[in-house]
Amino acid sequence: MSANQPNIVLFQCQWCLYAKTDQDWVENSLPENMHLVKTSCTGRINPLFVLNAIQGGAEGVMISGCKPEICHFKEGNIGARRQLSAFQKLLTHIGFDRSRIRFVWMDLQDTGRIQKELATFEKDLVDLGQSAVLVTRKPGFEGGMHD
Amino acid sequence: MTDLEMKLKAEAKRLLDEHLVDVFIGFRKENAPLHPQPAFFTNSDQLDDFVYNNLCQNNLAKFLTRYPHETKIGMIVRGCENRSVNHLIVERQHPRENIIMIGVPCTGIYDWRKITQRCGEEISDVELSPGKITVKTSKNQFEFESKELLHVSCARCSQPNPISADLVIGEPVEPKDPARAKRQVETFGGMTAKARYEWFTHESERCIRCYACREACPMCYCAECFVDHGAPRWTESMVSKAGMQTWHIIRAFHQTGRCVDCGACERACPMDIRMTYITEKLNTDMENEYQFICGMDDKTQPPFAAFTMDDKTRFVA
Amino acid sequence: MNYILSRNDIPKVLEMWSKTHQVFAPQKYSNFSAFLPYEGKAEQLCLEYPHNTRYPPKALFLPQSEELLSYTKDGQASEPALDAKPKLIFGIHACDTRAMTLLDTVFDAKDYQDPFWKARRESTAIITLGCDEPCSTCFCTTVEGGPFNRQGADIIMTDIGESFHLEALTPKGENLCKDLPYASAAEDRKVSNVQEKATSDMPKAFDTEGLKTALDANFDSSYWEEVQRSCLGCGVCTFLCPTCFCFDIADEAARSKRYRNWDTCMFSVYSREASGHNPRPSRKERTRQRLMHKYSYWVDQIGKIGCTGCGRCVRYCPVGLDIRAMLREAGKLPVEVIHA
Repeated sequence: MSANQPNIVLFQCQWCLYAKTDQDWVENSLPENMHLVKTSCTGRINPLFVLNAIQGGAEGVMISGCKPEICHFKEGNIGARRQLSAFQKLLTHIGFDRSRIRFVWMDLQDTGRIQKELATFEKDLVDLGQSAVLVTRKPGFEGGMHD
Repeated sequence: MTDLEMKLKAEAKRLLDEHLVDVFIGFRKENAPLHPQPAFFTNSDQLDDFVYNNLCQNNLAKFLTRYPHETKIGMIVRGCENRSVNHLIVERQHPRENIIMIGVPCTGIYDWRKITQRCGEEISDVELSPGKITVKTSKNQFEFESKELLHVSCARCSQPNPISADLVIGEPVEPKDPARAKRQVETFGGMTAKARYEWFTHESERCIRCYACREACPMCYCAECFVDHGAPRWTESMVSKAGMQTWHIIRAFHQTGRCVDCGACERACPMDIRMTYITEKLNTDMENEYQFICGMDDKTQPPFAAFTMDDKTRFVA
Repeated sequence: MNYILSRNDIPKVLEMWSKTHQVFAPQKYSNFSAFLPYEGKAEQLCLEYPHNTRYPPKALFLPQSEELLSYTKDGQASEPALDAKPKLIFGIHACDTRAMTLLDTVFDAKDYQDPFWKARRESTAIITLGCDEPCSTCFCTTVEGGPFNRQGADIIMTDIGESFHLEALTPKGENLCKDLPYASAAEDRKVSNVQEKATSDMPKAFDTEGLKTALDANFDSSYWEEVQRSCLGCGVCTFLCPTCFCFDIADEAARSKRYRNWDTCMFSVYSREASGHNPRPSRKERTRQRLMHKYSYWVDQIGKIGCTGCGRCVRYCPVGLDIRAMLREAGKLPVEVIHA
């Protein structure tokens, strides 16, 4: 991946994009450096998913979900917000750059927002440069004393 | 045998003789120096080698989840163990009415690793007296103030006294230096991101994945741990950077709002890996954001289980 | 032949050996010690410690994680090159050296030879440092070994104060010593004193006579229920053990590689079968397995106890479980005589 096209993993709640055009866009027209993981709700996003994406070489992770009151499952996103924000803080604590994980909470009238958010995120990641933290599964095998 | 030990033993004997408990969990005399062994007394005849001192390093709440709910369990609890038990009750791992907690105000646990660092790993005998510890090796004899050897979690203990024990034996002790925990989190957080990551890498790369930290933790009672999953596999199976870092991050994260900072994980680690610098961060976060301190009572749900619509104004995007 | 290596000359000699070998020596690693490649830092050496390195040197021959093969999407598989560069292990204790010979019966047996193990073993020379001060947790003399056991060693080294006395036991060893001065007769005498004293200093930790019979007879004893109670079920004892060799083979699809990782009978997933059935469902069976394997099954298979008495499991068990005490108790269990 070139420096101008950082790898981005988008974890998306399947209910959060209210306009069909937006959903079609993330499913079919995402640029090559962006990867979609569609979930049933942000509450389904295990922090392990996020860590796995980062370890596998994602420069940034975007989590897109519904605003608090409008969760399809009533409160799945409320639990997710507590967990994921605590996880973001934990990763920051051990030296990860917190701006590489970005949350987007969508509202009904936010048609077209996801494209803009991803574009801004991509630009910010380009400014940040490549991450050297937690990218441990790529490339090849590196490790501690046991290798 | 100290006065405290005698009283504890008498209480254990009474509970067993009067059939108030099916099993009494305490410690018994060590075979090799430094590690008294958790013991499970079912009969007062077995109490001969009962022991309780500052080297009893395990969190006995660990063993609570091994018994069926009907078993009446008597156990020794220090401040941290009492909180662990409370939280296990919140998580419905054992009913409160089937636990009899004999509380002991705790003066802190000596870290065996601090002892071996100072005296070498070949230790032939250890003598304890109030505030003092004498360690004998084949060639030398060392004397330490107890303060020097306290485990970090004990040195910053905020709750050395049992809070909901059925009976407390011994005089309450002063909290150690709780501000130290916050200072530590702040100092670590004040380092550059690069330095923090280097620290984390240095600690985690010594891991041999023996999972002693998991097995020593009272909160790790899952029937199957995420690292043991074969399909899907959540983490690399090797002692690679990715595998070991995932283990250390996720193990700590699973303790969010559930950790009482007893330090049992660190004391169990054969590779001297520091872990509480991560869990303490999570504990301070939970306290600052949700005013939650784990195990202060046996009713309050931890933050990840207690989310409400009040959260909607939090985390403004 | 016998040679002398003065303490002050150690860095120089290790430097010399480094020219032809990759030298591993016990060195400081974090707060403890491990066998690491010697990189000219003499102050890092830990030759004075009476105990073993905490991390077991079996990892030099059987790494905790080892690549077995890599594959590509189109079905091509390739094996990594065997590690045949000359290596030298300096200052390993007799119990750990002996453990290698026990492991040879597993990885270099008649019916199965592990190429990775064999290549490393054949290309490695071992200089054993005898223990003149055995630890209180050691019990090598109880299990057919001794602080100066020579099995598996190319050179056996004895601390005689100012210098080390080296006795070359194999041509490999002779070859390494060729630039060192010969030992005098007086120095040879010192050696036998040190060796005899160290050996006689060690008490018998438990009785091995009849132990196997007692273990076999009490497979279903309630004793195992008792002994497992404080066991946490972690892998400290087995991972640090110099003779535990169990492994698991895993395909890491993300890397397109197959790995062999240490595994331990103390974990429940170790024995769990694909169906979900686990023949060793609780810690009782697993604790029993660890003892039975070392003290009964090894004896069945090769006629030797599969433990070298290094004492690591005793020193580092987080709950203070002591294999010696467990075996003392097990030895006392009744052996029922079955009359035909």
